[in-house]
Amino acid sequence: MPHVILHRGDKTFEGEVSENTNLVVKAGIRQFPFPNLRYGCGMGKCARCACRVVKGAEHLPEPNWKEKKQLGDERLNEGFRLVCQLWLFNDIELDQPTMPLLPLARTPVDALGRAITEDKTNGTSPATE
Amino acid sequence: MPELMNHVDFRAALEEAIKGKSANKAPFSIAWASGKLSRPHLARWAENHYHYVGPFADYLAYIYARMPERYTEAKDFLLANMYEEEIGGDRHTDLLIRFAESCGTTRERVVDPDNMSPTTRGLQSWCYSVAMREDPIVAVAGLVVGLESQVPSIYRKQTPTLRDKYKFTDEEVEFFDLHIVSDEIHGERGYQIVLEHANTVELQQRCLKICEIGAQMRLLYTTALYWDYVAKDIPIEELEAIERKAA
Repeated sequence: MPHVILHRGDKTFEGEVSENTNLVVKAGIRQFPFPNLRYGCGMGKCARCACRVVKGAEHLPEPNWKEKKQLGDERLNEGFRLVCQLWLFNDIELDQPTMPLLPLARTPVDALGRAITEDKTNGTSPATE
Repeated sequence: MPELMNHVDFRAALEEAIKGKSANKAPFSIAWASGKLSRPHLARWAENHYHYVGPFADYLAYIYARMPERYTEAKDFLLANMYEEEIGGDRHTDLLIRFAESCGTTRERVVDPDNMSPTTRGLQSWCYSVAMREDPIVAVAGLVVGLESQVPSIYRKQTPTLRDKYKFTDEEVEFFDLHIVSDEIHGERGYQIVLEHANTVELQQRCLKICEIGAQMRLLYTTALYWDYVAKDIPIEELEAIERKAA
């Protein structure tokens, strides 16, 4: 059973999860690490779940295309990963920044935060977060 | 006479009920998995699939409205599922349309209800009927546990095939990627609602039955896709031979 340590600000949360667990899925059903893991879209777009891996990075697969696109080389090299893209099989220690990272490739959104597809923009500038 | 099951046994029974009529054995699924489909075949799939999954938030909204007020957490879960389907990130159907466009069809064709088969219309109607008429807990069992929770395992198998055999790019198949996470959350929320609130023998048995029916409906839909769009190009014998070889 992977042991998870999550740092956020000056607080630390610990828990055990089953093998092959996605922490965003767990938080989504209000189990550990809910309510202490911040997440958003659950689809590798918003980067709100991004955490720096303090320990256990060697057990994780290489970053996938969404992590490369939204985090970029610099933040990946600093140890950041998108937690919604990770399924855990081993112990891990994570540090989630107090302020969420901004994704590099941001989807244009309207005032309600809804994604705007190209044919709906009517030439207006996308809203910022 | 069936007896009231504890959560562990009830969950196992639900999982068994869903497995009963797996759509993975349908000829369309076999053709998909073996890389035999053409992009026009996949375009027809997308044009149909849109009308099955596109109204998912609508189905949930009917259940939400009829869910007893005292089941606050269940209502919150349904509301969160609706939000995530539609506006939590990219709208899921927009990603399906992106895949459809990469198969050679257009947004206009995908959203046009005249392009779905009668069987797809039947599946969509069944989903609406369950959402509007069944006990809300039974409806969650049918639509969220029976149908939506199955999506991660289906797409986990299909996505590598789309990349490796059909040569789609990562962005083109993002619709399938996102469901591995979001439907896992939605499916688990569904299980939690059903395990918590199906607290009589009768309700548990109705939940099991509707999961079986949901699996049958999905198999019916998938089978029709083969006969409506693929059979003229890929004979059934060819797919049966593939299935025999894999067994």
